[in-house]
Amino acid sequence: MNVKNIFKLCVIGSLGMATLGLTLVFNASPVAAHGERSQEPFLRMRTAQWYDTRWNPTKTAVNEEAMLSGKIHIAEDWPRAVVKPTRTFINVGSPSSVFTRLSSKVNGTPMFTSAGLELGGDYEYVIKLRGRLPGHHHIHPMLAVNGAGPIAGPGSWMDITGNYKDFMNPAKLLVGGTIDTETAGLANGLFWHALWGGLGFAWIGWFAIRPMFLIRARVLAQEGGDALLTDPIDRVVAFGMLGLCFVLIAIGFYSADAKYPYTVPLQAGEPKIKATHLRSDLTMKVLNADYDVPGRALRMTLQVTNSGEEPLSIGEFTTAGIRFLNKVGVANNMDPTYPAEIMAVDGLHMEDESPINPGETREVKLDSRDSLWEVQRLMDLVNDPEQRFGGLVMSWDEAGNRHINSIAAAIIPVFTRANAG
Amino acid sequence: MALFRTAEIIKASKLPPEGVKLSRMIDAVYFIPIAYLGVFATFHMHFDLLAGDWDFWIDWKDRQFWVTVTPIVEVMYPGAIMYYFWTFYRQPFGATLSITGLLVGKWITIVFAWYWWANFPMNFVMPATMVSSALILDCTLLLTRSWMLTAIFGVWAFAMMFYPTQYAIFGYSKQPMVVDGQLLSLADYMGFTYVRTGTPEYIRIIEVGSLRTFGGHTVWISAFFSAFVSMLVFTIWWQIGHFVGQSFFWVKGRRGVMSRKNDTMIVGTDEFAMRHGTPDGIAPGHRVAAKTASATIS
Repeated sequence: MNVKNIFKLCVIGSLGMATLGLTLVFNASPVAAHGERSQEPFLRMRTAQWYDTRWNPTKTAVNEEAMLSGKIHIAEDWPRAVVKPTRTFINVGSPSSVFTRLSSKVNGTPMFTSAGLELGGDYEYVIKLRGRLPGHHHIHPMLAVNGAGPIAGPGSWMDITGNYKDFMNPAKLLVGGTIDTETAGLANGLFWHALWGGLGFAWIGWFAIRPMFLIRARVLAQEGGDALLTDPIDRVVAFGMLGLCFVLIAIGFYSADAKYPYTVPLQAGEPKIKATHLRSDLTMKVLNADYDVPGRALRMTLQVTNSGEEPLSIGEFTTAGIRFLNKVGVANNMDPTYPAEIMAVDGLHMEDESPINPGETREVKLDSRDSLWEVQRLMDLVNDPEQRFGGLVMSWDEAGNRHINSIAAAIIPVFTRANAG
Repeated sequence: MALFRTAEIIKASKLPPEGVKLSRMIDAVYFIPIAYLGVFATFHMHFDLLAGDWDFWIDWKDRQFWVTVTPIVEVMYPGAIMYYFWTFYRQPFGATLSITGLLVGKWITIVFAWYWWANFPMNFVMPATMVSSALILDCTLLLTRSWMLTAIFGVWAFAMMFYPTQYAIFGYSKQPMVVDGQLLSLADYMGFTYVRTGTPEYIRIIEVGSLRTFGGHTVWISAFFSAFVSMLVFTIWWQIGHFVGQSFFWVKGRRGVMSRKNDTMIVGTDEFAMRHGTPDGIAPGHRVAAKTASATIS
């Protein structure tokens, strides 16, 4: 070995040691969420508008049930860059199956398979869960859109206590009887895998107990070697193995067929889910909107007309699962269990906070201002391929009836304080 | 009378006792750490990329795509590996080695990745086994000694026996149940109940296609189709085995010219020394009679 090679080995060895050393320095910590903030703002603000999300209860035990529910408004202003929601699935964003899902309904229709949703449609989902893996888990509702990927809703922490070993997930069969999905068919499957695997290894072993490679290759290269290598006993064993395989396959097939006389194929249907629509006595038109990058605020001017019979007060602007509220919103729609890290209880400001009276048309300057814009990485809006925003504006009358308007418009970024208005 | 012809074969190999002993050591080192681990690692990756989801999830195991795709993908490596072991050693275990290797890889994944790491129950992610089909394929090659007949009969049986073999394992999952007024198979329900954040339901490629004539006997139509495609794929991969399994080496002649030699068995023989010289530079032919050399090589 010359000096050059020794030097090369030293360099490689040093790199290896350095890599090992770095793993000690930069120890990876457990993931605490699902990367929802990494999704681009236009994807979060202009596709699925999540609201009224509930995690109930937030503390549960193994085998106990919990509910994940809420509503989604499918934005009318769905981005061109995202595939339309013609095939979607309401999912649960969780670190593995910490809950099992018992039932999932969208507008009252069971959603076991995927379905199309309507742009501008409003959907209420209720997902029934059962605690499975103990721990402190971050759980999201999630709308998976075929061709576009998952769109995560707001996430909150749910705790499951107890012991996984106690978990059972009984499923009642149509033909009678109940089985546990955790263990159904497991022993039988392991038996067949072991049986076939054993036969496979026995077959290889039959040839491995004799010289396998070099000797046979040398003999094969000689005249007559091919015939010599064909051991008559191997042909007998091959016939036996062939017969055994067919017999075992037949036994397995017919015994399973007799054991399960009533079967159905996998169900690949598509539920037809009827959309509902937002109702509001207010009509809203965004006259202009800008995004104050240094001030972390979305400022918009709305032309609002009240065509109803009751004065209405704007109390909340919500987008990407993040809520900006003022006093009206807090009084009418404050859910104490909603995660504080995605809610700004004093984040919505207006120049004129008086109610909009019936028949009145007013220009409303609405300012949603909070560090959440940065923390939740929505300020990356300026990097989006289409500078538009979307969201839901909620208003209430004196009796507490809610009116929701879906808004969307182009937005202009304001980069410096000098022109921040 | 001896059970095997081993003694005759060893004698014909003309290896001295220490050579025989060494060859068995080579067998062990080459077979387990190199051939077996190499096959299971690469075949496992190859299979998971082409047919993984159908094998990972119980709610993907349908009557059309699972039955069609799995044999086609699983016959690929056996085609090439069978060529290699049969052509160079007349060993009829290429398919079994490939498929058991694949299953070793799969079970490592199931236990450590799916069960231990991702917390899915093992029955939910249990793979199919094609060891039965592989044994049929290997036996066919041994008995017919023809790769063409193996492709026609063995591969046909390889694909056709897939579903009946699996039915013994997964038949239970086709039992019907009713949830929220909807009819589901148990497999559908398991796919629904175990939350997979990154695998929404629409990802499933199941029960979509036109192989539905003959009174709804979808499975057997798919199996037939799979068998025919598998035959073609097997022959292609046999030829791939031929292409990548060629044994040759480059040798520098007396005049310093490099030339390709296809007969690897000649290495170390007297004839090789006569033609190409020896590493220590002793001129061949002076010490070895041509008669001896020709007898060695025949």
